[in-house]
Amino acid sequence: MTSPPVLHAEFLKIRTLRSLPGALLALFAGTTAFSALAGASGTSDPEFDPLFTALSGVLPGQIAAISFGAMAVSAEYHGGALRLSLAAVPQRGRWFVAKLTAIAVPTLFVGLATAFAALVVARAGLGSAASGLTVAEDVRGVVGCGIYVTLMALSAAGLTAVLRSGVATLSVLIPFILVVSFVIDDAAGTVADFLPDQAGQIVLHQTYEGTLGPWSGLMVTALWTVAAMLAGAWSVRRRDA
Amino acid sequence: MTSIDVQDLTKEYGTRRAVDHLTFRVEPGRVTGFLGPNGAGKSTTMRLVLGLDRPTSGTAMVGGRAYPTLNEPLRHVGALLDAQAAHGSRTGRDHLRVLAASNRIPNRRVDAVLEETGLASVARRRVKTYSLGMRQRLGIAAALLGDPEVVMLDEPSNGLDPEGIIWIRELLGRLAEEGRTVLVSSHLMNETASFADHLVVLGRGRLLADTPMRAFIHARVEPRVRIRTTDAAALETALSRYGHDAVQHEDGHWSVRHARVDDIGRMAAEAGVTLLELAPEEGTLEQAYLDLTAGEAEFTAQPQEA
Repeated sequence: MTSPPVLHAEFLKIRTLRSLPGALLALFAGTTAFSALAGASGTSDPEFDPLFTALSGVLPGQIAAISFGAMAVSAEYHGGALRLSLAAVPQRGRWFVAKLTAIAVPTLFVGLATAFAALVVARAGLGSAASGLTVAEDVRGVVGCGIYVTLMALSAAGLTAVLRSGVATLSVLIPFILVVSFVIDDAAGTVADFLPDQAGQIVLHQTYEGTLGPWSGLMVTALWTVAAMLAGAWSVRRRDA
Repeated sequence: MTSIDVQDLTKEYGTRRAVDHLTFRVEPGRVTGFLGPNGAGKSTTMRLVLGLDRPTSGTAMVGGRAYPTLNEPLRHVGALLDAQAAHGSRTGRDHLRVLAASNRIPNRRVDAVLEETGLASVARRRVKTYSLGMRQRLGIAAALLGDPEVVMLDEPSNGLDPEGIIWIRELLGRLAEEGRTVLVSSHLMNETASFADHLVVLGRGRLLADTPMRAFIHARVEPRVRIRTTDAAALETALSRYGHDAVQHEDGHWSVRHARVDDIGRMAAEAGVTLLELAPEEGTLEQAYLDLTAGEAEFTAQPQEA
């Protein structure tokens, strides 16, 4: 689908823009800090879920992942940058696959490291309250969290290619995640479970109910992501640069 | 041998026809000036050649192939479309490294073109600290990166200082001498006249002329001879005796239309008229261009959108 030189160029683009590694650093720092806070505060909530409490830092932290995906693509929509990129790599599909790969790989690595760090610091704060968590649940939470933030970054990347603007993407996705999901959070067991962020977050919980499980939830999020990426690919391939 | 072949090319944006059944060929070994007012379709044509925009109909080929089918195209075609294409937060060198990586061009070419465009000393500074002229040089560096046989530059001297304009003129001449195909767009007449060997002139998306530059000027602007003398009456008598059509200007010099310096010189000697100045007045590209576009009634009636 893509070729090593094209992939190399796309990785180099991300490495040579300070704001992009910065966004990944923010994903790590933000998530870990909020998880540490959540771990240190009380556990009086009757619906307390130790795994979700430990990984809850990713709820604000995912904004950094979304920004990373959006900015990595939106950099192409300034001052004719896309024309230069496509003059160098005129096979547009191949170029877009390389771009998405260069977004996915570092996000996944940083996401996994972030989830692991968040879990460690939060469990230190939770102490015995989290003693019921098994290793399998820990691993599922960390891997699931890494995949979840990667899917969110890729969704943002796909949407940015459609809207051709990072600002437009962020002003769609961030209110969606902050507002819509919180408003309908209580309406569990409804169609809201199938929203991209809600479905993918099931994997962050120790216990879950409803139609979707941890992995089927991530699959639902992945389907949303694939839709966003296909729309982005269609836009890149069809439109004049 | 790599030429650019544009065949019956048409591009419509909505109802506006930016390029209208355009056919021309850009040959290697000479600098072809791509002339026309803003909005005439020069940039659109370049984008169509690079496969960035899709033509409504017709084809644009480079060396007989459609650009998107080229493998590692920067090694065949180098283009400057927009000096703002480099991301402001990247260094100039990183900008070129990214492009080089995508086409497996070694990093020593990056340093070579930075040197060649005079950017070596600022290569590790971020592009947002560059002046417009430096960005323009970076765009030209990117075009030269793959040592391509075909070079297309859209308004390359935008923002360049006088020294830079001389530099680009010499660069274009050298590229053509090396046998490359060089297409350079401009809306500035004097500048184009200083570097072009051949002209492709567009107006409202249509081809107005495709001729060698000298021929273009000679076909449209009558040659004249400029004379100054101490004895206006004797000169006038001599000129009318030989049937020359001459006009005296306010500052005292004369212009003789449809004449050659050799004839006027001999005539003056025979008539014993003292000459202080005898010089051919070459037509300028600007005059020729205005003559061409004046003939296009439709073209001048409606102003172009920029």
